Amino acid sequence: MELSEEILNRVEKKNLFAVGHRACGGCGQALAARLVADAAGENTIACVATGCLEIFSSPYPDPSWRIPFLHSLFENVSAVASGVEAAYKVMKKGPVNIIAMGGDGSTADIGFQSISGMFERGHQVLYICYDNEAYMNTGVQRSSFTPYGAKTTTTPMGNKTRKKNLPFIAADHGVPYVATATVDDYRDLQRKVKKALTIEGPKYLHILVPCPLGWGHAGDLTIQICRLAKDTGLFPVFEIINGKITNVVKVPIKKPVEEYLKLQGRFRHLFKKGVPTEVVAEIQTIANQNIERFNI
Amino acid sequence: MDKLPLGLAMDLRHVVPYKTGSWRTLKPLYFMQTPPCAHGCPINNDIRGFLRVLADKEDYAEAWHILTRTNPLPATCGRVCPHPCEDGCNRRDFDAPLAINSSERGVGDYGLEKGLEHRKQVLSLRKEKVAVVGSGPAGLSCAFHLAKRGFKVKIFEAEREPGGMMRYGIPAYRLPKEVLNREIEAVLKLGIDLECNLKVGVNIPFDQLTHDYNAVFLGLGAQRGTPIGVPGEEAANVFTGVDFLKKVNSGKTVNIGRNVVVVGGGNSAMDCARVSKRMGADVSIVYRRTRVEMPAITEEIDEAMEERIMFRYHTNPVKIITDENRVVGLLCIQMELKEADATGRARPVPIEGSESVIPADTVIIATGQEVDYDGIEVAQRENKWISTSEWLMTSLDKVFAGGDAVLGLETVSAAIGQGLRAAAAIEDYLEGHVETLASPPPVVYFKDMNSYYYQPQKRFSKEAIPVHERLKSFAEIYPPFDRGEIIQEAGRCLSCGLCFSCNNCLMYCPDNAVNYSSAAGRYEFDYDFCKGCGLCARECPCHYIQLTLEK
Amino acid sequence: MLKYLEGSHAVSQVVAMCRPQVISAYPITPQTHIVEDLARLVSEGRLDAEFINVESEFSAASVILGASAAGARAYTTTTSQGLLLMTEVLYCIAGMRLPIVLTCTNRAISAPLNIWNDQQDSMTVRDAGWIQVYAEDNQEAADLHIQAFKIAEQTNLPVMVCMDGFILTHAFEPVDIPEPQEVDAFLPAFKPQHIVDPRWPRALGLYADPRFYMETRYILHRALEKSEDVIKQVSADFSRAFGRPSGGLIRTYKLENADLVIVTMGSVAGTVKDLIDALEEEGKQVGLLQIGSFRPFPKQAIYRALKDKMNIVVLEKAVSLGRGGILASDVRWSFPRGERKGRVISSFIAGLGGRNISTDSLREMVERVCLEPVELDFLGLNKEIIAERDL
Repeated sequence: MELSEEILNRVEKKNLFAVGHRACGGCGQALAARLVADAAGENTIACVATGCLEIFSSPYPDPSWRIPFLHSLFENVSAVASGVEAAYKVMKKGPVNIIAMGGDGSTADIGFQSISGMFERGHQVLYICYDNEAYMNTGVQRSSFTPYGAKTTTTPMGNKTRKKNLPFIAADHGVPYVATATVDDYRDLQRKVKKALTIEGPKYLHILVPCPLGWGHAGDLTIQICRLAKDTGLFPVFEIINGKITNVVKVPIKKPVEEYLKLQGRFRHLFKKGVPTEVVAEIQTIANQNIERFNI
Repeated sequence: MDKLPLGLAMDLRHVVPYKTGSWRTLKPLYFMQTPPCAHGCPINNDIRGFLRVLADKEDYAEAWHILTRTNPLPATCGRVCPHPCEDGCNRRDFDAPLAINSSERGVGDYGLEKGLEHRKQVLSLRKEKVAVVGSGPAGLSCAFHLAKRGFKVKIFEAEREPGGMMRYGIPAYRLPKEVLNREIEAVLKLGIDLECNLKVGVNIPFDQLTHDYNAVFLGLGAQRGTPIGVPGEEAANVFTGVDFLKKVNSGKTVNIGRNVVVVGGGNSAMDCARVSKRMGADVSIVYRRTRVEMPAITEEIDEAMEERIMFRYHTNPVKIITDENRVVGLLCIQMELKEADATGRARPVPIEGSESVIPADTVIIATGQEVDYDGIEVAQRENKWISTSEWLMTSLDKVFAGGDAVLGLETVSAAIGQGLRAAAAIEDYLEGHVETLASPPPVVYFKDMNSYYYQPQKRFSKEAIPVHERLKSFAEIYPPFDRGEIIQEAGRCLSCGLCFSCNNCLMYCPDNAVNYSSAAGRYEFDYDFCKGCGLCARECPCHYIQLTLEK
Repeated sequence: MLKYLEGSHAVSQVVAMCRPQVISAYPITPQTHIVEDLARLVSEGRLDAEFINVESEFSAASVILGASAAGARAYTTTTSQGLLLMTEVLYCIAGMRLPIVLTCTNRAISAPLNIWNDQQDSMTVRDAGWIQVYAEDNQEAADLHIQAFKIAEQTNLPVMVCMDGFILTHAFEPVDIPEPQEVDAFLPAFKPQHIVDPRWPRALGLYADPRFYMETRYILHRALEKSEDVIKQVSADFSRAFGRPSGGLIRTYKLENADLVIVTMGSVAGTVKDLIDALEEEGKQVGLLQIGSFRPFPKQAIYRALKDKMNIVVLEKAVSLGRGGILASDVRWSFPRGERKGRVISSFIAGLGGRNISTDSLREMVERVCLEPVELDFLGLNKEIIAERDL
């Protein structure tokens, strides 16, 4: 089913992810969850992995979800969503949008096997990864999405490895639609959710969601930091449709990574009295590689 | 308490949300701020308001009504105002300030073309009568705002026609008489009586006014040119700037000869010079300091220069050289600038032995003006200007004053602004209550705003008639503007300090604590849930959201 | 209709008649024959179900959790390591009150790796909140699945049907396989009570803070206790409908006049019965109490049955390491406080990792407990291969 450009570009605000959640002020993930739920609409089942999102949105008796919500464990949301999809298929119910969602840990680490299985089996499920680049719910420990150089409670000297590249791993599973997005461009984000839901088979949407607590920035900087992540080239925004990179969001004027890093406590150790250490140069190299690779 | 459901599976249609508002230490408020344009405007015009209506609805009529809430003469101000609004415009720090003055002219001209009529604030007529002395910008403005408030107003004008300096001081190439006439006509249509050729204090005793009227407003202006006190000033071809312009503007023939020397650096000096140029003379301006210190409007100086008027800086007249009571030249001395004087401008000091003569058939002294107090006794300050209270009340009971007579030499807009304030003060006076001045909200500066959401866009530029064409007549040098271009220009307004429905607060609130109330037509915070993260304030492009400390 | 077939196939055929809508499983010996057969039935279009080949038992359990939450009748089967890998999900399924049926083809737990039978796997997850029933033979294994779906859907509790790996799964026996319409008549279509459905938005899997958590666990505990009645009722209904006894909380054999009672569960009951018959001929009165439902643990039924039996020996294929017999412990605590005195309850661990439990070894056990109480012993332990230091 193709959606018209008008519907794809329409901004949705229905509050299907509603008030009363316990996220920190300025939480990027809470914002993303609402944008996703509203874009997907009422006819949606949200399968959520354990993590920040689940914890701040689903306490009994006052959860924030207004669409069906299903949570069981940290590492199995892809399989749970697979089961829901299988049930709808065999019961000949629906159509219904089935969205599995989790943080970076439940997506790329503990749930990696499960998501790989879901992709490979080809379930009609949209998987959304809210990437806040560490285990925030448990107190900011490193995940395989923690960027190079970032300080977490388990990488006190700064993370020594680069981010696992899940969008490409997903694409290499044959996932027909893979995309990345950030919360500052809500139109683009909602468009990608809507577009993904029209496509047969598994879909993967990777959303960068700043975490004021874990990244060490004020809650009001969430949007600005998203923009800098894009404008520096550190977080490329693109789509991979049937294995082909496309619709890369271009950045006419690239910003130095320093601008992005300096706003965040997790990178503060990379500057000695304001002077960047060589790690900053390495991070700039990562950004440059992205810029070249994606022709940002 | 509700019984636990099977498997804790909860019906989501009956959730009572947990109120997270109690976490808040900072509280966002929608709070209209003063834009720097309105802050800079002596009339306090709702510039942001009229531009928004133009940009969003392309509604020129509504824009005119918004402007004329404060300014009775938008077509006039859109031509002659030195637009301090544009100096403040935050867009200056982004690309270029908005062409507010041109936009105002566009809207003013539309009003004239369509014959739009002013709206009264109060429909019922009040019994109190107010006399307004002088029909310059201050008097007209005061009369206008009083009439809008329902007062019976009569204007007494000494000259043959209303308008004061706008008519007798400003040349037609800057302000066509037709424009002025029609704007005044529209003002008078509010039911204002006007009696011309009646000089209060001379043709009618001032006391009579204070006796017959509940209040009097003095908008006397500064109609008298001041001499500079050099020998020869009394010669036949020596004019004050005021007299010269009045003669020309009244259509009288003035024989100025080939060489005209104008003394002074203010707007009046520029006007005299440019008028003389149009009358075919070679004109020089003699000024003690440099261009930087000239009080005239920059544009006026630029245009005078374009029109090939010779500027002689560091030059001061010493003596007017006459022959049989006719001017033949002006003896000047060169000056050098020393440390700043009390006015903050460099102090000119003569250089000995640097005297020289500038040949002249006419000398126009346009260095100063003063109030004509004939028959009106009122307390003054600096022995010059009418002394008033903050509320523009003079030393005399029930007598108010404003405009150049109070301010010293100022702009049309400043005079209109005073007329407006005086009208408000008179209303308060007549109603017997003291005006409580709510301090205006703070001014928004560019640093307070989020420039991410604005796109660079070229400023509207007005095209003047070529110089050789200009000098052939007194025709206005800027032809009418394209209405579509003005609408585009209005679209450049950043709406500093006032919501323009960008949706950012609504869409970016991670707590869904912003709602759009269609009933109220605006966004509202839901303080039950707002955690005070400040994201809305940070991402509000125009600084309409303020974070305050939660009590 | 009586069919001569492998235990796994008896189960798969009966499970198919129960019309599960979503089946998900991961291969593990000795469960494989069940899933292979079900996969075949699905692919041949003889069973209208989604068969999801997953990448782990963890996902298998998670898939059926999701399917059940979406309102489908869901089934999986596993054993041993697979069951342990599922453990987290098992607890969730029960906590969320999802009526899932799982077949555990009982097998030993690593390390060392061992694919042969004991019951350490299911016994280890006894506290997950699942109903656990144990089959004696292939007929019962088949029959218990029909009952399991009914019990699960009536109680909103998951049911684990345990059958001994290889001993039952790979044994060929004649089994009376019912007709599909008989099963349909006994087992009505699944009417889920709490599902995720956009038409009636519900949240499944909310977290409970200390104000609510203990109550939810209490409710689950009570649900298991109360399910005893349902298990009994369904067993009775089944017997009526299919004309053979099956299931229930406990079963007894020659208990009435027994001086010694052997308590056990699973396929070893058959061997025990053979021994009892042999001993009877020798003039020894030994009886059997067979546990049908290990969870809920039918302590009252056990107490009533064993009230006047003073010599009891519990034989089980699992051990709580560092403590002893799990079933033995449960049986000991089935007697009210004042009733324990003078009663001998011996505990034997037997058959771990596929060690054969012969009638001879059982006879040895009986003879020993007739002489003295045995607090704990491992039946048939070959001490010769154990170093002195390890004894």
